[in-house]
Amino acid sequence: MAVTLRGRLATSQFGAMEAKSSRELQARNYLEKHRIMELLTYLTSALLFSRPEKPREYLISILEQLRTAKVSGMAFPFFMDNSNITAMFQMLDSSNKGSISFIQYKEALKTLGLCTADEVLKDDGHGITCEKFMLEVNKKTQEICGKTKGKDSESYRSAAELLLLH
Amino acid sequence: MDATTAPHRIPPEMPQYGEANHVFELMQNMLEQLLIQQPKDPITFMIEHLQRDNDYVPKIVILGPPASGKTTIAMWLGKHLNSNLLSVESLIAKEYSSLAASARTHYQKFQTLPNMLLVRLLQERLREEDCVRRGWILDGIPETREQALLIQTLGVSPRHVIVLSAPDTVLIERNLGKRIDPQTGEIYHTTFDWPPESEIQNRLIVPAGISEGETARRLLEYHRNIVRILPSYPKIVKVITADQPCVDVFYQALTYVQTIHRSNAPFTPRVLLCGPVGSGKSRQAALLAQKYGLVNVCCGQLLKEAMADKSKYGEMIQPFFEKETAVPSYVIMKVLKQRLDQQDCVERGWVLHDFPRDRDQACLMDSMGYKPNRVFFLNVPYDSIIERLTLRRTDPVTGERYHLMYKPPPTMEIQARLLQNPKDSEEQIRLRMEQFYRNSAELHEFYGQAITLNGDQDPYTVFEYIESGIINPLPKKVP
Repeated sequence: MAVTLRGRLATSQFGAMEAKSSRELQARNYLEKHRIMELLTYLTSALLFSRPEKPREYLISILEQLRTAKVSGMAFPFFMDNSNITAMFQMLDSSNKGSISFIQYKEALKTLGLCTADEVLKDDGHGITCEKFMLEVNKKTQEICGKTKGKDSESYRSAAELLLLH
Repeated sequence: MDATTAPHRIPPEMPQYGEANHVFELMQNMLEQLLIQQPKDPITFMIEHLQRDNDYVPKIVILGPPASGKTTIAMWLGKHLNSNLLSVESLIAKEYSSLAASARTHYQKFQTLPNMLLVRLLQERLREEDCVRRGWILDGIPETREQALLIQTLGVSPRHVIVLSAPDTVLIERNLGKRIDPQTGEIYHTTFDWPPESEIQNRLIVPAGISEGETARRLLEYHRNIVRILPSYPKIVKVITADQPCVDVFYQALTYVQTIHRSNAPFTPRVLLCGPVGSGKSRQAALLAQKYGLVNVCCGQLLKEAMADKSKYGEMIQPFFEKETAVPSYVIMKVLKQRLDQQDCVERGWVLHDFPRDRDQACLMDSMGYKPNRVFFLNVPYDSIIERLTLRRTDPVTGERYHLMYKPPPTMEIQARLLQNPKDSEEQIRLRMEQFYRNSAELHEFYGQAITLNGDQDPYTVFEYIESGIINPLPKKVP
């Protein structure tokens, strides 16, 4: 539902307008800059997953956690923990070889938002095992969390990507 | 093959929770406010927005020609909904505002306000705490298209727009009888709305500008402007004729203001049709399944299929069918559960009829997690049911089904050999109907938000009512 939700929110806001007026561009830039759509997708997914009795209070508590984490650099409450990383590895390694190819590894890191498309990663030719995968994901997560001690939207943006289950 | 490309099996609790708590509308409202205000710190803004919880406060605009009763209706609505009433006069009369003071001087000199000033005044007023918390009702604003566009640019958009309309002659005549109470500001009329207390009668004054010529001039200007204001509010306008008693206009306005507009939320219909035998449930279910792709789940059919398949449930059901007693609820529930859990029911939604028949079955279904989101009760009077059912005939040779009144057989030869199903005899029908009506009160109580329809009409008319019941959001209970 979160995917349809996001699609419908996007189309209902921007309809079928061909001419891009400056206000619309301004609004789109605002959404891009603060990654609003991703944040809303995360909130909706969390809400549907936990199904609390009082949705507003729950949303407020998540947002406050985000706010304090952004300011103080504490660990985020995010979806992926170690069991999720193992599950993801197993999904990628469908033939149960025990290791995934370098291209798969890079794509997985991109999906998790832990590396950009242009970053160059070492390819040691042996394939990536589960332990190495988990290690790398955790290491990169710590790196990015460390960067969020700043209050600018750049670091917040990359940290927010960790929360997203694409 | 990558496991992630397989179709997702979303547990049905998720969409049910989303529908019940209006998650989509919540997110949509938040996104709208974010885009309009574009705050520097979105997270703090979102927290404040959620805490305010003012998505459903009244945001009403009332427009209409002079003497149509706008102010009266606006005042009554304001009192009833406990909301704030804003008009040009009330905006100008505001204290502690430099904008209002400059507006007053301008108004005294020219009798009108420049658009920008009025709109800024409005914006200032709408930002105050009480308007944010309790909503607002605009009486006669916007007056022109420029004002409407300016208001829109500032991000103020009403949810309901009421336009009062009446023929000009009625209005001119009505305006001649207008009287105002200087103390309370309420408007009375010499013929239609005369105050009962004599002390109010004594202090009523005649307002300025109600002569025929004056009213005609204002009407002309109104007609010129209203045509260009209405296109700004395409889907939320309702025109109410003001040429009827005030109370009627008020009730129509109140009902409209309390309806929720259709939203874009994803919606999987889970429809339950209830009604006595012969009320047309199977017919409507078939129509719904055909038009909307819902899965038609008829309980009787399911049980017969289970028996024919000789599945394990079929064997459990067989003895009950042979003895012609009712199958126990838990067995029916098991068969139903198996059908409703299948992927096509979860994805496309279902139409259920012929179950539950009483409160215990309804509770059982509810506890297993199958909650319909639309329930319809079809009411048909006894005589119509008798007419519909006792005239059914089947042709034993071709298997074709006829009805002596609605679908008569084409030739006398066929008519001669038609047979009637013994279950369609009047006695049997009466028994089944009584059984239904014994339990119907409990079912009505259990399904609080059910919609009752008159089933005694042409099937396509009933179908249209059912459609509108499904498509429109359920009416909110008045607090």
